[in-house]
Amino acid sequence: MQTLLQLIAILAVILGTVFSVLGVLGFIRLPDVYTRLHATGKVSIFGVVLLLLATVMLTPLGFGKGLVLIALLVIGGPATSHAIGSAAHRIGIPMKRAIRDDLGALEQNQAGE
Amino acid sequence: MSQILSVVLNIALAVHVALIAVCVWRVWRGENVIDRLIGADLVGTLMLAVLVLLALILVNATYIDVATGLAALGFVSTIALAKYIADQQMF
Repeated sequence: MQTLLQLIAILAVILGTVFSVLGVLGFIRLPDVYTRLHATGKVSIFGVVLLLLATVMLTPLGFGKGLVLIALLVIGGPATSHAIGSAAHRIGIPMKRAIRDDLGALEQNQAGE
Repeated sequence: MSQILSVVLNIALAVHVALIAVCVWRVWRGENVIDRLIGADLVGTLMLAVLVLLALILVNATYIDVATGLAALGFVSTIALAKYIADQQMF
């Protein structure tokens, strides 16, 4: 049983590290702010949560604490990305190669009324 | 099996510290203020990952409490900074 849990922990750590590397790579390579936000959101959700899955697997560690931290991250991650995205749009950061701008259209409607 | 686990954990720790260095360099060279904010948030998240890996390597659950504190502070500070940037004044 112990080796099975350690096997799952090894896979979780490897996958979490792969997601962290991909997130930071996206943060560097992507053209504009909004696509970079898309990349960094993945790091906090998939990267760290998979590492925490490894802590949940190894029972002597506080697996209850790991679950609390997973819940906090899954709730807090998207909220921070949304806050940064709306802040970037409000101070007028341009979108490269954008096809739709729903927030811009919404603001024009409100301005029109 | 546990020998492989410790090797994998140490490699993951080294990779995450390298990623933090890359992010700090990117924040230093950031084009606009939002890039620096995203970079700072990313450094916080990667620091969280390093703490969780330390909890796994040293088999000591208190590091996860430190990581919970860092996650809560990072979350609140990023949202406060984003609001400050959007409205140009704090309250």
